[in-house]
Amino acid sequence: MAQAGNVIQFSGHQYLRHRLVLSILSGKAVRIDKIRSDDKNPGLRDYEVSLLRLLERITNGTVIEISVTGTAILLKPGIIAGGSVTHDCPLSRSIGYFLEPVVMLAPFAKKSLHLTLRGITTDDRDLSADLIRTVTLPHLQLFGISEGLELRIKKRGSPPLGGGEVQFLCPIVKQVKTLNFVDSGRIKRIRGISHAVRVNPQFSNRMIEAARSVLNRYIPDIYLYSDVYKGEDSGKSPGYALSILAESTTGAIHCAEATSQPGVPPEDIALLASRALLEEIRRGGCVDRKHQSLALLMMVLGSEDVGRCRMGEPTARTIQFLRDVKDFFGTSFKIAPADPADETSSNLIFSAYGVGYVNANRTIA
Amino acid sequence: ARAAFEQHGRKGKRKDWTKLIYMSSLSPADILRDVSNASSNKDQTMALDDEDFFTVVSSSGPQEEVLDQTKEVLRVEDLKEWEDEEMLDSIRNLFITGGS
Repeated sequence: MAQAGNVIQFSGHQYLRHRLVLSILSGKAVRIDKIRSDDKNPGLRDYEVSLLRLLERITNGTVIEISVTGTAILLKPGIIAGGSVTHDCPLSRSIGYFLEPVVMLAPFAKKSLHLTLRGITTDDRDLSADLIRTVTLPHLQLFGISEGLELRIKKRGSPPLGGGEVQFLCPIVKQVKTLNFVDSGRIKRIRGISHAVRVNPQFSNRMIEAARSVLNRYIPDIYLYSDVYKGEDSGKSPGYALSILAESTTGAIHCAEATSQPGVPPEDIALLASRALLEEIRRGGCVDRKHQSLALLMMVLGSEDVGRCRMGEPTARTIQFLRDVKDFFGTSFKIAPADPADETSSNLIFSAYGVGYVNANRTIA
Repeated sequence: ARAAFEQHGRKGKRKDWTKLIYMSSLSPADILRDVSNASSNKDQTMALDDEDFFTVVSSSGPQEEVLDQTKEVLRVEDLKEWEDEEMLDSIRNLFITGGS
């Protein structure tokens, strides 16, 4: 697909995932070198190799070359095939690490994707299966990707041994809708999922109680669900976590999550999650910080019209993402203060002209 | 409330994000550090002795690797301000139940 001389060059191991995603979507080959070349243990990590393998499987015709030392890769993207895929994730990263890039690609596949992933469902680095289900997928719905979109958590798996399993079902679309989301509204409800596996099931309720002690002052509409998994379905290692989200009158969602740490009582974990949620709410905007890149990507791919979205200040990841998007698609965003009159507001309006990305892989039914 | 106050003060100089992102070679972390997050005073002090910091980095010491991760590390210290009643009340207007 990619012609010679059409290779985009990067250095370093950081931001690997979104660069691979952008490469596959844009059809432009990408070469990444100096991957941990100064490290004692140079080259790609096992989870990165695993991710490359997963991307190879959900696409067709993708060529991946890894240098002998593993410090450089070249990816020539093929088409996104979709279909039914099962993948065992290494225990060094959670399922979220793998699912996040897949969520960005799956709507543009040839056939709808039915992906089964096994491994760790919740850890402290990437979005947990719960957050992907309750927050990431609703973000896709903003762009008209909704029918048949589902994530099922079959089994939970806590680090270090995992043992969890999720099923991700994603429909295909021809084109994504242009986003125009500038009113963040006000928070009308708070929802949460608390789970505890292979520990005292009371931990889950203790977390809910502690979270309520912080959040009850704001609104009465709080429902924190204690999710119970038993026996085989609860994975191989003990662990617990609280994932909470706040939804506004206009459908903006902010989320936060905290996972069990050794020697920390469940109450403290819940307080951490609740306070992180308040922090997230204060930052404002229509899109949660962890989902800025996803929303911006879909805005770039949208139909040839100006998409606009209000967000809080971008994160470091988002800044790099915006730069990389420009390299792949040539699209740059206009970023202006959302409330020029209000000195205290740090919210920004991101606007860009969509490239009118059409899913050419799609089989016409 | 103290943090909210600080936030107020720094807003005098507004960032031109478009320029920072597309027309500068600053690393993402540097852009954000300049913006100086009121919630992470710790980062600010680190930024001060950055000159010395830069020369040591490449010597592949035992420093922790920066991982490609979506969630930010939650630190108890960073969220301390939410133990303050005034702080908790300051975001009331973001909820439907709060006055405007």
